[in-house]
Amino acid sequence: MRKSGNSRTATKTRPAPGRSGSSAGRIHPVVIYPIRPARDYADLQALYQLVRYLDADKRRYARPLTVLDRKTHYALRGDKEYLDFRRLVVSRSSEVLDVWAVDTCQMWYAGLGAAFERGAEHDVYWLIPGDFNYGTKMGHQVLGRLHDLPEIVRELNQDLCIGEITADYTNSKQLIDTYGTFALLYNWFPDEAREIRQYTERPRSEFFAVRHDFLGKALCQRWYPYEQTMVMLLQAVRGHRGISRFSVGNISDLPEGKESLAAAMQQVERTERVLKSVWREYHQGDPDWIERYRQLVGTSTQVRYTAISILRNLLEE
Amino acid sequence: MRAFAYQKPLRAVNFICHAPEARAVSLVGDFNGWDPAALPMKQMPDRSWLLTVELKHGHHRYAFLVDGVLTLDPHAQGITRNEKGERVCLIPVS
Repeated sequence: MRKSGNSRTATKTRPAPGRSGSSAGRIHPVVIYPIRPARDYADLQALYQLVRYLDADKRRYARPLTVLDRKTHYALRGDKEYLDFRRLVVSRSSEVLDVWAVDTCQMWYAGLGAAFERGAEHDVYWLIPGDFNYGTKMGHQVLGRLHDLPEIVRELNQDLCIGEITADYTNSKQLIDTYGTFALLYNWFPDEAREIRQYTERPRSEFFAVRHDFLGKALCQRWYPYEQTMVMLLQAVRGHRGISRFSVGNISDLPEGKESLAAAMQQVERTERVLKSVWREYHQGDPDWIERYRQLVGTSTQVRYTAISILRNLLEE
Repeated sequence: MRAFAYQKPLRAVNFICHAPEARAVSLVGDFNGWDPAALPMKQMPDRSWLLTVELKHGHHRYAFLVDGVLTLDPHAQGITRNEKGERVCLIPVS
């Protein structure tokens, strides 16, 4: 079953003008500047072309926010190309939020939190990771689709819209999510895992848009430094929130399209740590929670070992 | 071609459902109030079902009703739920 033909959905390269007015709430773009930007600025140039356009549409968009890690800044402070790009491109089209962050998740938290404090009831917050290959032909197409995420939240009255990257089953992130993330999610939160999988195969996606009141709750409940999207999906499912998933296209943030085994192990291990913490928070008031927790830790350890063994075979081949 | 949203701009969108053994297929969505009778699809020589509708700019929820059963479009660009809590598809129109 498919939609097809010349008249099928036109891919927008820019948000169409004049749709929803400011009465529907504004959209707050939050760009996460790459911690380790590439030497070539083609991808960032393409991204900031979109940001410039968003900044110009003041009726629909709040001033875009760029979150920049101070470590990145200090590492590049003698780099004229970086300084010029920051001054002439980034600062002109967005407000730069300089933060000390241990990782991109903390940058998300800082950026979304800052945007939230400027927002209002009907507003929507749109996270845009900066470290993808937007300069490619496919990257341009993806940039043309990203604005659908906040628009879906606003038009269809959703709480969370996850942008899903199109990837085949051999993609590293897909493998990690299949054998690591979902395997662990099913161990700790089987009902929620089934529900999440009805929407997306990529519960750790870095592309999403979120409604004001849900973001407020997520920010205040979020004590976990990792896997922000997965935690928000858990919160959304448990709170019976409106969730959507939208495919944004085929794009990558991996230099050679492949994750190292060490990076994969780290991702699986931190997913497990987060799920343990979330489970304890939800269940620590139950009378038998310690016994149940111990059992789940036992099976979780087996799941993690198995996931890492599988990923070792698949990623090192 | 049926126009289901009377605000401009409208864009013609082809919906194709591959259900060769089905006796009746219709298109349901926000744009026709999820009315099973409003948008019957027509079976083509290759036995797939086709319907062209004009939709207004924006994001629409839809699904196919294949012999009365709500069926997702495997090629849909997005997934969400309708007001009844049923899983349905998303289509952007611009």
